[in-house]
Amino acid sequence: MRAPALKPMPVLEASGVRKQFGGVIALAGAEFALEAGEVHALIGSNGCGKSTLCKIIAGSVAADAGRVALNGKPVVFASPREAAAAGIGVFYQELSLIPEMTVAQNIYLGREPRGRAGLVDRDALREAAAGALAQFTAVLGGRVDPETRVADLSADQSQIVEILKVLAANPRIIIFDEATAALDRNQVDAVFQRIHALKAEGRSVIFITHRMDEVFEIADRVTVMRNGTTVMTRPTADTGRDELVTAMVGEAIAGRSNRARHAPSEDVALEVEDLNSEKLSAISFKLRRGEILGLGGLHGQGQSELLRALFGATPIRTGTIRVGGQPLKPKGPRKAMRRSIAYISGDRARHGVMAIRPIFENLVVSLLARDRRLTVARRRLEGEIAPIIERLKLKFSSLEAAVSELSGGNQQKVVIGRWLATKPTVLLLDDPTKGIDIRTKDDLYATMDELCSQGVSIVLHSSDDEELLSVADRVLVFNGGRIVAELTGEERTRFALYSAAYAAGGTDAGA
Amino acid sequence: MQALEARVVAPRPRFSRQNHPYLMAAVVFLVLCVVNAVLQPSFLRPGVAVSNVAAFLPMVLVAAGQTYVVLASDIDLSAGAIVSLVNVVVVSIIDGMGGTGASVALGLTTGVLLGLLCGAVNGFCVAVLRFQPIVTTFATGIVFAGFALWVLPEAGKQVPAEFYLAYAGAFLGVPTVIWILLGVIAVAALLARTRFYHALRATGGNMQAAYQTGVPVARVRIGAYVICGLFSALAGLSLVGETASGDPLIGGALTLSSVTAVVLGGTALSGCVGGVVGSILGAFILGLINNVIFFAQLPFEWQGLVQGVIILAALAGGVVMARSRRD
Repeated sequence: MRAPALKPMPVLEASGVRKQFGGVIALAGAEFALEAGEVHALIGSNGCGKSTLCKIIAGSVAADAGRVALNGKPVVFASPREAAAAGIGVFYQELSLIPEMTVAQNIYLGREPRGRAGLVDRDALREAAAGALAQFTAVLGGRVDPETRVADLSADQSQIVEILKVLAANPRIIIFDEATAALDRNQVDAVFQRIHALKAEGRSVIFITHRMDEVFEIADRVTVMRNGTTVMTRPTADTGRDELVTAMVGEAIAGRSNRARHAPSEDVALEVEDLNSEKLSAISFKLRRGEILGLGGLHGQGQSELLRALFGATPIRTGTIRVGGQPLKPKGPRKAMRRSIAYISGDRARHGVMAIRPIFENLVVSLLARDRRLTVARRRLEGEIAPIIERLKLKFSSLEAAVSELSGGNQQKVVIGRWLATKPTVLLLDDPTKGIDIRTKDDLYATMDELCSQGVSIVLHSSDDEELLSVADRVLVFNGGRIVAELTGEERTRFALYSAAYAAGGTDAGA
Repeated sequence: MQALEARVVAPRPRFSRQNHPYLMAAVVFLVLCVVNAVLQPSFLRPGVAVSNVAAFLPMVLVAAGQTYVVLASDIDLSAGAIVSLVNVVVVSIIDGMGGTGASVALGLTTGVLLGLLCGAVNGFCVAVLRFQPIVTTFATGIVFAGFALWVLPEAGKQVPAEFYLAYAGAFLGVPTVIWILLGVIAVAALLARTRFYHALRATGGNMQAAYQTGVPVARVRIGAYVICGLFSALAGLSLVGETASGDPLIGGALTLSSVTAVVLGGTALSGCVGGVVGSILGAFILGLINNVIFFAQLPFEWQGLVQGVIILAALAGGVVMARSRRD
């Protein structure tokens, strides 16, 4: 499905690239070609493989099979250092800045100007950084000078510094992975101006974004990826928004598995009004009793932040949260737990299991933490968790076995069981089925349905779009920390989800 | 609206703890100097000052070396053992070859190379084999200390008088130990202006980001351990000059006091922030605390207690300053 080459030889060509992480196929033969002086947008749904493809090109992930060629010559990069030496620069979505170092030191890390005796010329370093910053002075806002520590910058300023750092390496090929995510309209314009200049110099840009209008504004061509393969490459002039979303979503949209609807009551279990935090703006919604509310959109648009903010695990700036009509000041998880809120993360290793500890301890820890019990009445606790073990169909050799002996799915069941023991009324699920098998997933869905029928309300964030659309009664679509759409009933389609996920959102932040 | 608020960045203070993390150490150092001078009126006499520097120099050297490892967010718990090993090897070579000029030259060269080698072993285990730094260097430290005991089971042997006289003497009217101290500061100032130093801080600040930026993280970490090995070797040599003999246990206490000096000097154990100047001040602080306790004529059984409380107070001061900056 490759578009006919515009010029005889692309500067970068990837063909038949495959990559598997454990049992998950991230790339199943991806094709990609980048011309000189071209801005090439790369879009697709969550888990389509666009990040993996970029990481392979950038040398931070090794491909299992396939060929990457630079100016016609096959290359294999063992590290980002080798890729950088070959003229490939990467803007990392999560940024690659050192907080405790200055703006100047970050921009020129590894390529500091040197003077006599090979020592770093500090004046030249400062001047070079001041020159780089000058292009963005008008839109940087506040005072940012070469000596400012990166830790003292705001999110958008850090992002601009990361862009300057990428450009300081003078790369021939630049990968911008969500480089405009935190920027306001003026800042995006300034970045686009710079990209036009790079194009004029014959440099090539791979542009990943969650804003569809940016694709049409800056890109010459666009490649759509789905399920680890490249499904379409087109000049942006010859395509439209709907065609791109259809390509991202695929033909299978009609076959959406519509599970049994829950019957939420009219009671409001959780109400959020105008919630704002570092990564969230103006979040408002109501969660009814017995309802599953989905949070969707591309990765990292604020869904996890919202769940963690509701649980009191990350601070909020303004806004009100009401649980069962009574206001909740989110000051730490225990406060939320006392109000019968439970939070379950799919990142088991970091936020979930205590791997080397026994299953018993892992199951009762939430009870102990909530009630500040001084002593562990083992018999009584065993009695309390016995029905949960049964309900979750948890299989184990002994309650004293370490959690790490269980499979990923069973570990996740332990984490869920821990929270069910606290009899929550609001369950916050943060990508709970990440990396677990289908049978366990089905068990979890059944558990969720059962909980809903008992009046428990669930907020579910999932990076698995099928799961989200089939399990949730309503889906709030996130883009740049805002809710940009609410999908209910028959609107819950992948097409609608991705139309909204790629909507122009957040561009007016800070205006 | 919040974005606007968030974007207001305070103008950079020209002179602050953020640029000079050793400020707190400098204050504590000056206070201790005053207290010491009150308790011991001869404290400011050049001869006494120089003998103080000579006494503190081994700790200054190890602390300086430790700083580089800590800046990369690693730690070297074998530094003191390297000091002991180098000390006994150098003395054994010089003594075994009859104390000739050639034997001194060979001994010193071997000592320096041995320090570099020990550092390289540490760096290889931590950065290439990816062993956990605390446990790894604790273990290599036991190995180095074991070698030291094998080379010289008991304190003893002699170096020629010229050696320790030169160490205790002066060159161009300036005492040798002062030259060494100035040399350490000069080397630190030069190193601080290399690309290596920027890469070192970046590695300690955010290893993943440094790797993605193309910083050769493994080489940088090895480099830091090799520098620490070198400075530990120099400390071993200065102890040869100071004591004129070998002692396989002489460096033992230097490991933890070097880490303490580094932290007192404002270097963060989490890496990236700090510098050698602070660690030198930190080493002087530790030395002066001992002096103050001695001249205050405290009963022996109180000394450890007072020493610990002063160190805690100095640390607390640094923490309070760091927090007030953040708020």
